Amino acid sequence: MTTPSTPSWQDILDLVTQLDDGSFASATVEFRDVSVRVSRSADATAPAAPSALAPQVPQPTATVVAPPAATAVTTVPVVAAASPVAPVSTGTLVTAPIIGVFYRSPTPGAAPFVEPGATVTADTTIGIIEVMKLMNPVSAGSAGFLKEFLVADNAQIEFGQPLAVIIEDTSS
Amino acid sequence: MTNAPEGKIPVVLVANRGEIAVRIVAAARRIGASPVLAASAADADSLAARLADRVIIIGPAQAGKSYLRPEYVAEAAVHAGADVVHAGYGFLSEQPELAELLEAQNIAFAGPRPETLRAVGDKTSARRVAVAAGVPVAVATEIDDPSFAAALGDALGYPLLIKAVHGGGGRGIRLVHNSAELAELAPQAAAEAQAAFGNGALYLERFYPAARHVEVQVFGDGEGGVQVFGDRDCSVQRRHQKLIEECPAPGLSKARRLVLHDASRALVKALRYRGAGTVEFLVDTESDDVVFLEMNARIQVEHPVTEEAFGIDLVAAQLRLALGLDPQLPDVPAVPSVVAIEVRINAEDPDNDFRPNPGLITHVDWPRGPGIRVDTHVESGYRFPPFYDSLMAKLIVRACSRTAAVEALRSAADAVRIEGVKTTLPLHDFVLSHPDFIRGGVSTTWFAPAWEHRNSLIKEVAQ
Repeated sequence: MTTPSTPSWQDILDLVTQLDDGSFASATVEFRDVSVRVSRSADATAPAAPSALAPQVPQPTATVVAPPAATAVTTVPVVAAASPVAPVSTGTLVTAPIIGVFYRSPTPGAAPFVEPGATVTADTTIGIIEVMKLMNPVSAGSAGFLKEFLVADNAQIEFGQPLAVIIEDTSS
Repeated sequence: MTNAPEGKIPVVLVANRGEIAVRIVAAARRIGASPVLAASAADADSLAARLADRVIIIGPAQAGKSYLRPEYVAEAAVHAGADVVHAGYGFLSEQPELAELLEAQNIAFAGPRPETLRAVGDKTSARRVAVAAGVPVAVATEIDDPSFAAALGDALGYPLLIKAVHGGGGRGIRLVHNSAELAELAPQAAAEAQAAFGNGALYLERFYPAARHVEVQVFGDGEGGVQVFGDRDCSVQRRHQKLIEECPAPGLSKARRLVLHDASRALVKALRYRGAGTVEFLVDTESDDVVFLEMNARIQVEHPVTEEAFGIDLVAAQLRLALGLDPQLPDVPAVPSVVAIEVRINAEDPDNDFRPNPGLITHVDWPRGPGIRVDTHVESGYRFPPFYDSLMAKLIVRACSRTAAVEALRSAADAVRIEGVKTTLPLHDFVLSHPDFIRGGVSTTWFAPAWEHRNSLIKEVAQ
């Protein structure tokens, strides 16, 4: 995948690791047509990291387009603009495996299966989709923590629609 | 305009794809309704999707996980706030499960009642209903013991077919020409039926080696009222797939046409059939026999020839009836005053055993002119998907006589330009120029040997 002029996602991860080991407060690295800025503090002068990074990284990743996605799980780079350079995580979209109504709780009024920020494993149920009275559990699909839900509780969702973002645990 | 409750614009959920989805969207517009398309992820950018007011993705490309799932379609109907669901042909169009799920949600289904779908959906029960309504069926005898088959066959006459009572999809059917063959093959057929269907029961049915496929277009009001919209001849077939259809069926005597139309009317009345349907018959060319084949409880692929010949909109009528409105269909004579013929243009390579030929269609040009209609979802730049059937377009021509219609269709088909994929257009050029077809009234077994002959001639010339 890597060509002399275009960095892969791994190249960028390596770069970030290098910078993190050094004493830099912020750095800007430019490849031929990709520019990466990283900062230890929320640097208002730099453009938000995702917009600077994500669209230009020629990686396995699909640009996140509005629903519906064609595949069940789409990996996208998600970089929190305000977070320190490390640890860097990959955000993974949990997309709806079927059309239906999405519920975050097992029954109306009950506590949600998970709250944003919760640690999840691949098998953790994050919600259910009801299709014609049939309940279908939706699992996180990858281990890490659940960053956010992209749809409201009780929402009508289509096949392939992004439901939540999991920040994958890359330390293990 | 329609009068839906509270004056709201009715919402039509289109639960199909390809050309028929485009057709249903157009019918929804015609009756002043709002079309919403239930599509697979592969069809999210299709022509029908762009023409609809909204698209709901019901599943991935595979039909088994999208278009064939009644619960997904019903769910999409709820999301859309649909008043009526039209399922086109194929997929869920004749599945009672969808009709029932919709009934439970108080959403109309543009088709017959679930119990009607069940009654005509199974060959044995369809035959029983037909017999009860006085519809002529092929002479048949059930055989309990294969060792007595020959005696029963002799009484029936040859050639005949051995069929499994619980069979389907053409499996286990054997053609026999005399009692010796029957005595030999009946035990095999029983064993095979036992293995395949868990039941070895067989029946013998009179076989017609040179029959035409003629079908009658009906429309029932659901209360026993029936309108008949003439007949269609669909005898040009390859492996039971229709290639060319026309309305009216050419060269039918008044008496035979009366038998077909009356039998169809009786069947629709007996079923208290609701909406558009087709009663299919074999019309023998060697005797006066006419036998019932099956009833298709949906709109047919070839419905445009009937629409063009009579100047009606059957799909709009289906939607209106389902919405509780007057379908606005006129009473018409048994034979229309004009002739309409249709060719199906498929993404198949006729010179390579009709292998499916999906791919990028780089350029398309459709013919224009008086009486020409093209029902299609294909445009320049369309990537014809490999997941579904190969129908690209239906080219329909209407003219004052059959001769004029054949000529006009040949010229219109010749003007079609489709670049990027192989199509069945060469086949149509062959058939529309063939003296047998020009004369009219070929049987369903005509095409295969005629096409073989054409191919061997081409080979000879090449050598």
